[in-house]
Amino acid sequence: METGNRVSASAEEVLEALRAVEDPEAAMSIVDLGLVYDVQCGAQQVKVDMTLTSPSCPLGPYMVDEVIAAVRAAVPGMPDVQVNLVWDPPWTPERMSEAARARFGWSP
Amino acid sequence: MVALTVAAARGWPPQGRLPLLALGFVCLVAGIAGGLARTGVASGPTLAPAVGLHGVLMVCGFFGTVISLERAVALERAWAYAGPLACGAGGLAILAGATSIGFWLLAIGSAVLLGASAVLAGRRVSLEACTLVVGAGCGFAANVQLALGVPVGLLLGWWIAFLALTIGAERLELSRYLPRPRSAHGWFAAIAVAMVVAASGSLRVTGIALLALAGWLFAYDLARKTIQARGLARYIAACLLAGYGWLAFGGTLLAIGTGYDAALHAVLVGFVFSMVFGHAPVIVPAVLRRALPYTPWFYLPLALLHASLALRAAGGLAGEQAIRMAGSIGNAAAIALFIAIAAAQAIHSRRRRR
Repeated sequence: METGNRVSASAEEVLEALRAVEDPEAAMSIVDLGLVYDVQCGAQQVKVDMTLTSPSCPLGPYMVDEVIAAVRAAVPGMPDVQVNLVWDPPWTPERMSEAARARFGWSP
Repeated sequence: MVALTVAAARGWPPQGRLPLLALGFVCLVAGIAGGLARTGVASGPTLAPAVGLHGVLMVCGFFGTVISLERAVALERAWAYAGPLACGAGGLAILAGATSIGFWLLAIGSAVLLGASAVLAGRRVSLEACTLVVGAGCGFAANVQLALGVPVGLLLGWWIAFLALTIGAERLELSRYLPRPRSAHGWFAAIAVAMVVAASGSLRVTGIALLALAGWLFAYDLARKTIQARGLARYIAACLLAGYGWLAFGGTLLAIGTGYDAALHAVLVGFVFSMVFGHAPVIVPAVLRRALPYTPWFYLPLALLHASLALRAAGGLAGEQAIRMAGSIGNAAAIALFIAIAAAQAIHSRRRRR
């Protein structure tokens, strides 16, 4: 995306940047896996709500750091990047993208 | 929405986690040295407790520390780090000859792990989370009995259940990416119940449960798909699938009541250590916040681990002590080689970032 002195970004641009963050075990982006619930972009803040398949997963804080790094790379200079791990509503396989579902063998 | 704002979460700084992990590694090194001495290898100066309590150091000292550290990282609460601290300190106390204190520290460590698992399960109740609680409960039950004087040999079923259910729960969670029949949940729950019921009684039933767990994992695990991926995901899948083979082998031996040493090491080395090899590149960055980039060189210690374990099992089953000993040395060398490659990768990655 364009950088320059621009600080703001659209939710779509942030979501696109988050495609670079993968669940290492599934070898698939957290966006395709349906782990990203919501992205909100303002002039001073980017806020991401995301989940994991389980609260017991030790990767949680690490994944959050990865998401923050991806957002900061996509929107340099953004004063506040906030990532919330959300457990409600719980993740279900229906949240995966068509591509992810096809890859894992779900019927269309 | 129920949300946890990570920036505000309490925990323990990553630099403070390294000493906890180091405690576990002391148990690992001493435990391996003790294990080698038990098979007749003159491995230099070995502390007597490491020989007599090799299994306790490996399962409660090393795995107890690592698993409770992993759980504390997931929970992000400072009190949960008392789990790895107590488990690691328990191992050190045992090595120092303070056996009773060491056993009670292990019991305390596993109690904290149980508490951390229960709090996590409370965030979202699921079969996966409940299985982690039950697995931690099995570890706690074993360690309390150990502290109360129950012989190590009578606690194997509990410790096997602790490790198998902990790993099984983590795989159950990841299998959610794949389609699976409704009955898969029921089968998994039945296997878990069988393992707990058998823990205080028959190792044969434990063996049947392990065999069934291996079948479940082969049928429904994500590794079936990711073995076709590339890089790290494929390597993890290779570690897992090879481990499930050993789980089935060890379970079979326990079920038919033969090859006790081969069975235990098939499960604890072939299955559990293979899992450790596979997940280290994922878990180390999560726990220590240090990158551990994947390298195809990781396949080298993995191949050595499984080849030498095959040698060890064959030697043990055939009653050929020299072959069993050679296999044991190979197991130790594989673990040392893996740690060396992982450390080199972590250091290399850090230098590159600078």
